[in-house]
Amino acid sequence: MRGLIATVFRKELKDHLRDRRSVLTSLLTGMMGPVLTLILFSLISSWTRQDKILEVPVIGREHAPSLMAFLARNGAELKEAPADHESLIRAGKLDLVLVVPEDYGKSFSAGHTADVSLVVDSSRQSARATVQRARRLLELYSSQVATQRLIARGVAPELARPVLVEDLDLSTPERAAALMLNMVPLFLMIMAFTGGLQVASDTMAGERERGSLEPLLLNPASRGDIVLGKWLATVSFAMVSTLVTLGVFALVVRQLPLEDVGVKARFDGAAILSMAVAILPLAFGAAALQMWVSTYARSFKEAQTYLSLLVMLPTLPGAFMAMTPIQVKAWMFAVPALGQGLLAGEVMRGESLGPVPFLVAIVSNIALALVALAATQRLLSQERIIFGRS
Amino acid sequence: MIRATNLHKRFGPVTAVEDVSFTAEDGMITGLLGPNGAGKTTTLRMLYTLVRPDKGSASVDGVDVVTRPEEARRGLGVLPDARGLYPRLTAREHARYFGELHGLSGAALDKRVDELVDLLDMKDIADRRTEGFSQGERVKVALARALVHGPRNVLLDEPTNGLDVMSTRAVRTLLRRLKDEGRCVVFSSHVMQEVAALCERVVVVAHGRVVADGTPDSLRASTGKDSLEEAFVTVIGSEQGLVQ
Repeated sequence: MRGLIATVFRKELKDHLRDRRSVLTSLLTGMMGPVLTLILFSLISSWTRQDKILEVPVIGREHAPSLMAFLARNGAELKEAPADHESLIRAGKLDLVLVVPEDYGKSFSAGHTADVSLVVDSSRQSARATVQRARRLLELYSSQVATQRLIARGVAPELARPVLVEDLDLSTPERAAALMLNMVPLFLMIMAFTGGLQVASDTMAGERERGSLEPLLLNPASRGDIVLGKWLATVSFAMVSTLVTLGVFALVVRQLPLEDVGVKARFDGAAILSMAVAILPLAFGAAALQMWVSTYARSFKEAQTYLSLLVMLPTLPGAFMAMTPIQVKAWMFAVPALGQGLLAGEVMRGESLGPVPFLVAIVSNIALALVALAATQRLLSQERIIFGRS
Repeated sequence: MIRATNLHKRFGPVTAVEDVSFTAEDGMITGLLGPNGAGKTTTLRMLYTLVRPDKGSASVDGVDVVTRPEEARRGLGVLPDARGLYPRLTAREHARYFGELHGLSGAALDKRVDELVDLLDMKDIADRRTEGFSQGERVKVALARALVHGPRNVLLDEPTNGLDVMSTRAVRTLLRRLKDEGRCVVFSSHVMQEVAALCERVVVVAHGRVVADGTPDSLRASTGKDSLEEAFVTVIGSEQGLVQ
């Protein structure tokens, strides 16, 4: 009896492993998430690295010796600006140029406002961090001089600053980078669905379409054994794809300059193991659901259409969670996909949850699988399903 | 031995099988003859347990097909209307898979598969993947997997449909051999010559009913016609289904 499940399982594995093209496609799909993360993350962090030397090309250095000394003291590397600096900035080859006009010294000494110009191209994301650092240094200099002048005149500096504005920018590149990391669980959940998609659609809808379902059902094996064997094959493909993606993520994340952008995430061996335990059970429910849909579909093509829509399912709670922090409640761990996303998120943040939420998530996915498998088995005893509908 | 008693099946408003009864004996080839749409395929599907009859009953070697379908299937080898193959598996792997599903394994399975490869003359194709097989080669693979467990009863739905002369002859030879081994062979056909060439027993089905049942000779005698073809037209009451 159990032997028949194994027979069906072995045959499906052999059959689908020989389908080189779809095996390769599903592995490549698995690489996409990690590679995308690597590229975006590296880009973002290269723009924001604090230890990068701030180069400030200046025109008219000689007009403002004390400002230049201040900038140099604060780590800026001053140099002569090239003559064609405007076109260089427009082309993105130069981040900024500081222009000190001739009358700077006269205005400064007289206590008037002395103008300097910062030439930038504000549409350039990559220059943003550099421009911001330069601007902050200039503002710091300005307020220091102001404070000195007020004190020299016997006025409390606070009087000149009735309101102090502090920036709390929510859309910083650092946050974008952190968001990318929050997508890791989402990519893994998508793989739990796409990894088995090909097998699920071929093994039920495809089996009927090529006319091999009827002969298969003529064997004394029970419908339950056949469904279970095929389900296990689908689960295997989904799990291996998910694990490959997780492995590549683990390699990629190690290369990422997480500290540079101020992201705190745990990606050591224990965290990766917990992540696997958190995400993999989703494959049980996903594969069973896919089998059921594939059996119900009228044709192979229809099955593939439905199944690719089904892939959206885990992205809904996942995407929501990546964008909005929600209050985690115990029941959420019992919702397939949502539970996986929450668990993986907690693991990455380094929170210790204990085994209970993991167990709850595993049990809920197995329950979902049992319901979908029972429904699939029932479908397989219907004549219109076996012989197809038109 | 296969016994069908008053089988009846409706699909929505369409009655596919009205009332079919017959008995197919061991060591005999029984032909289920009838025009397209007469209910032959539905009748066979009820016999091989994939369609549940609305009324009536059927048994395979005394095992009821409705109440004990898995046991009934154990005693049946079936070449159904759908004979799709797995394009990425070899011919031999097809036979092995179905043998394993029937509980065979090890040396017994190897021996049985080798026998079938000989019997069906499949040496050249046995270890090739079935993708791109010709119609005749596909039927051979389908027959091999249907017969791998050595069933006492063999049901074939239009086995020679779409085959060339050589493949048709090979199938006929196989059926005679199965008969000689004492098995009960039932096949359906809409081709008169086929039935005349093979069967000791003809069950003529038209409009979901058995309209004649007997040896080709008794059929000719009862209708008073000399040729089986004429007799056939007389019993089904129309010209349809003869031209092919």
